[in-house]
Amino acid sequence: MLFPESEIISIFQDGTDSEKRQAFELLVHEYSQKLYWVIRQLVLDHDDTNDILQNTFIKAWTNINSFMGYSRLYTWLFRIAVNESLSFINRRQQTAPMDSDVQHSMAERLESDPYFDGNETERQLQEAIATLPDKQRLVFNLKYFDEMKYEDMSQLLGTSVGALKASFHLAVRKIEAYFNNID
Amino acid sequence: MKQEKDILTRCGNRRPFTVPQGYFDNLDAGIISALPQTAEPQQVNVTTWMKIRPYLYMAAAFAGLFFGIGLFVDLGNGKNGSDLAQESQITIYSDEYIDSFLETAMIDDCTFYYSLVDTAE
Repeated sequence: MLFPESEIISIFQDGTDSEKRQAFELLVHEYSQKLYWVIRQLVLDHDDTNDILQNTFIKAWTNINSFMGYSRLYTWLFRIAVNESLSFINRRQQTAPMDSDVQHSMAERLESDPYFDGNETERQLQEAIATLPDKQRLVFNLKYFDEMKYEDMSQLLGTSVGALKASFHLAVRKIEAYFNNID
Repeated sequence: MKQEKDILTRCGNRRPFTVPQGYFDNLDAGIISALPQTAEPQQVNVTTWMKIRPYLYMAAAFAGLFFGIGLFVDLGNGKNGSDLAQESQITIYSDEYIDSFLETAMIDDCTFYYSLVDTAE
């Protein structure tokens, strides 16, 4: 069955409270897993991902009345999820000791993470990705792991295709340099 | 792009993450049960303290600024901290102050003396 995006948007704008809740539940069923992986690739830890995903949907639900339908529902949720993830990382960074790189230490912890099943090279790739700036990390994950087209990414992130290509290119060069240093 | 192919050859593009068994089966129910009942954003009760707090902070900041500038100007005139302290004591207990006070207070010297002793104690 096709996801009834336009019906859901019109319910969010004009529906009763119970209709809105039913429509929102459809939204959760449709996008929870997809958003889980977006967040997981940014914060790496399962429990943190679970908390951020929950917060993402709570934030979306409490702001449902202000959703004007200018963007697609997934775009809206995706942006909330990314903002929540980056805020989480920044909060960790603020409370961490001055000289520690939170994102990098999160990647290092993967070695003992029971929900990481990669080999040593895959772990090193995650460490290399962790060294990237936020935007490059996001673009790299979407292109490399999700194989998303630049045009779709452009809609999702509100960034031009040219800028996205440049970000991805820079990210790949940095990761290549990271591996060259290890070798 | 050659570099991307090198990374792909070396690492592949599989997501190397797993989730606890059955996690996705219960995920949606967990999210939905944690949602607030209505979509209205939670109202924050605005207390009187929350209302006046910015004004108090602003007043404190101005007072601090005023005092700081005053101190800076005094110190700029070549007076150090002990000069200022001495000056303030001299002002309070100067003879001129006592004389003018006695002239207008309509009390005799003895009463005035006792009032000073009481205050000092």
